[in-house]
Amino acid sequence: MEEALSEFVQEAQGLAAHFEPHTVFSIGGWDVTQYIVWLFIAFIVVLLVVLGAAKKLQVIPTNKFSNMVEYGYEFVTRNVAEDVIGHGFKKHVPFLATIFFFILICNILGLIPGFKTSTGAISCTWALAAISFVYFNVYGLKTFGFFGYMKTLCPSGVPGPMAPVIWFLEFFSMVIRVLTLAVRLYGNMLAGHMVLAVFGIATTCFLQQALFAGSLDLIAGLPSIAWFVLLVLMYALECLVAFIQAFVFAILSASYINMATHAH
Amino acid sequence: MEITLALAALKVVGYGLAAIGPGIGIGIATYGLCVSAARQPEMKGQLMGYFFIGAAMSEALALLGLVLFFIG
Repeated sequence: MEEALSEFVQEAQGLAAHFEPHTVFSIGGWDVTQYIVWLFIAFIVVLLVVLGAAKKLQVIPTNKFSNMVEYGYEFVTRNVAEDVIGHGFKKHVPFLATIFFFILICNILGLIPGFKTSTGAISCTWALAAISFVYFNVYGLKTFGFFGYMKTLCPSGVPGPMAPVIWFLEFFSMVIRVLTLAVRLYGNMLAGHMVLAVFGIATTCFLQQALFAGSLDLIAGLPSIAWFVLLVLMYALECLVAFIQAFVFAILSASYINMATHAH
Repeated sequence: MEITLALAALKVVGYGLAAIGPGIGIGIATYGLCVSAARQPEMKGQLMGYFFIGAAMSEALALLGLVLFFIG
């Protein structure tokens, strides 16, 4: 038991190094890390899923696969775009659906053992958050013009002397949206996978202790059953988190678009 | 060595402290959403938008704590 615990602590301390991006190969001075490789794999999977579903479009889809993908698109249209943006939501649906499907497929790819999720790398989530940030700011600027957009940041009805202070606070909270969008997704994916890894290490450490430490000691192996049950439960939770994070990213982008394009 | 260890430990404690407030805040926001959606289910779609904005705002504090944990 003691040896298993100390081995577990030792293994767990070296865990963070496994999640560091390391260069797989470089093309012309650009270092390609393993996360970038998985990013491109996710690209290909998204393309295959969406194009495969769109190959034979029918009014009433009989194909189960295209029905499923259409349900996802319908979900984004109804629950994300229409509910949150409201008036004039139609032109934002393709952007939101792209974000939703891409993040969802990245997250789900990462759940398959041996695979990595590219949303577990901060550079990827920065890029996604920056795309969303630029998108809603461009639509806000297009709708109100520069000064009008800056004015809508401050809610109407604020008394005169307080307005600059409130405006500054709102401006700050608008700017850190890019940070929160990026770090929320990154933190959730990285932390979730680390928890899975810790439980997996604990399971194997205690099992090894029971089976291969000289005498066959079944009592020492009992904690590994508990760890394994926890691992399975956490995996189920991670499946939920993979969906929720994609949904939250899409719905927050929709909220930001709503705030930027409708005066409040 | 000990100072580095103490700093690492303090970072974790700091992040834990930073997560208390947002945890309570998101709990209150979820409570409000559940109660109001139970009273007026047809408003649920609209309320979800407000809920996510509020939850994102309070979660931003916890995320700032997480960032400080990494860079501090």
